[in-house]
Amino acid sequence: MSEQQPYEPRIVAFLCKWCSSAGSDLAGVSRIQYPANATPITIPCTGAVSPMYILSAFNKGADGVLVSGCHIGDCHYIEGNYLARRKMHLTMELLKFIGVEQNRFRMSWVSAAEGAKFAQVVTDFVNDLRPLGPQDKLKKAVRT
Amino acid sequence: MINLQDIRDTARDMLAKGEVRAVIGYRRGSRGMLAEPAFITDPAQADELVWDPTCFHNLSLYLVEDRKFLAHLRKTANAPIAIVAKGCDARSIVVLMQEHYFKREDVYIIGVSCEGSGVVDERKLAPRLNGIQATNAAFDGDDFVFTTAEGEKRIPACEVMADRCLECRNPFPKEHNLAFGEDKTGRKLAEPFAALTRFEAQGAGQRWDSWSRHFDRCIRCFACRSVCPMCYCDECVVDSITFPVTAETTADEKANRIKWIERSATRSENITYLMTRAMHLAGRCTDCGECERACPVNVPIRMLNNKMEREAREKFGFEPGASIGGPSLVATFLDTDPGDFIR
Repeated sequence: MSEQQPYEPRIVAFLCKWCSSAGSDLAGVSRIQYPANATPITIPCTGAVSPMYILSAFNKGADGVLVSGCHIGDCHYIEGNYLARRKMHLTMELLKFIGVEQNRFRMSWVSAAEGAKFAQVVTDFVNDLRPLGPQDKLKKAVRT
Repeated sequence: MINLQDIRDTARDMLAKGEVRAVIGYRRGSRGMLAEPAFITDPAQADELVWDPTCFHNLSLYLVEDRKFLAHLRKTANAPIAIVAKGCDARSIVVLMQEHYFKREDVYIIGVSCEGSGVVDERKLAPRLNGIQATNAAFDGDDFVFTTAEGEKRIPACEVMADRCLECRNPFPKEHNLAFGEDKTGRKLAEPFAALTRFEAQGAGQRWDSWSRHFDRCIRCFACRSVCPMCYCDECVVDSITFPVTAETTADEKANRIKWIERSATRSENITYLMTRAMHLAGRCTDCGECERACPVNVPIRMLNNKMEREAREKFGFEPGASIGGPSLVATFLDTDPGDFIR
């Protein structure tokens, strides 16, 4: 049955509780139409995202991982997003280095007022992921 | 040129005076020419110490072991421990002190400069000796001299030296109590990150082709973790058996612990393990290259660490093991950090 269904990329979205999470809420209450491919996971701050979360998401079969947080200078914890910027840069470079497609990982700054931007980020991400097909490089092989 | 007798005399004097409780150095091993780590507590044993091209171990690992051992005994050290450290080893010690693993006064660093040379790579040496075992190796200017059953063989150091040593710019231990040998900081035997640059010039598809083969090969023996002085965590995220088990831990709890990574040596799990390790070592790895040497299946682990090191250097201006009071890579930031990848 599942073979007949068209491929829909699955995105794991780590959203900061103080901004992007509220931003995604705003996109919803504003009735903005955008693809339903992202599974949101609310986190306290992008600075709390360990590279392990991203590797683990890919390991468990995510086609793309999105990390979204507050704009630089707006972090609730003052400097969390600065630290995230550095960590995520290193993670992204490492993923690219071993040959994972660059478009599989994305980071964005979306404030609580930017519902439209959140919808745009997800739409763009899905459009970029679709031609790449399912992610099977880091995905755990399931024994049948 | 380092006079071996100087190292031995220093060790003997310090042990005799009781200034240090032990000296960690190298001595002749039981397998051919290879040196092995030595832990000397008796001044009479100081003459066992050696310094030759096979002294590749990063001995700062044993400072970590010592610290763990003392903690387990609930004892505090009564005297510092002396350690023979090359340039890369000394940087590892600096990183450990940066992370407050031990204090500066707990360790006495006997620095040895690799000068214009470095340690031998057995994998490069084997074909040069036509499979004959060498029984001794020695530095001699820009050459290594190997003693085999068929007499002495002189090989230019650059031809059989480990890649990490060829690329090393800081063969002199900057942090030291006492240093032997000439300070040749800034030497350039080969272009740094040469192998990495060559590898990166390939397309993503080719990179994945080679890495997937490397990841398939990994047997998860954790030799890279065991040999690394930076992998000192008591609980390792990749290995659930290192999580503490007390009398109160229920079977249910043990079975349902979070497993970030499965223990099976399959490709996906190996990737997650090796990538996690690279992330954990970002900004801490001092490129001693021991992980790659210890790897029984020749996974180029050093390349992952090199990638992180170069990224840190080029994008964040970060140098690992530069100073004890210096910042750590992922706990600091600059306003100028690249952010153009963020939408």
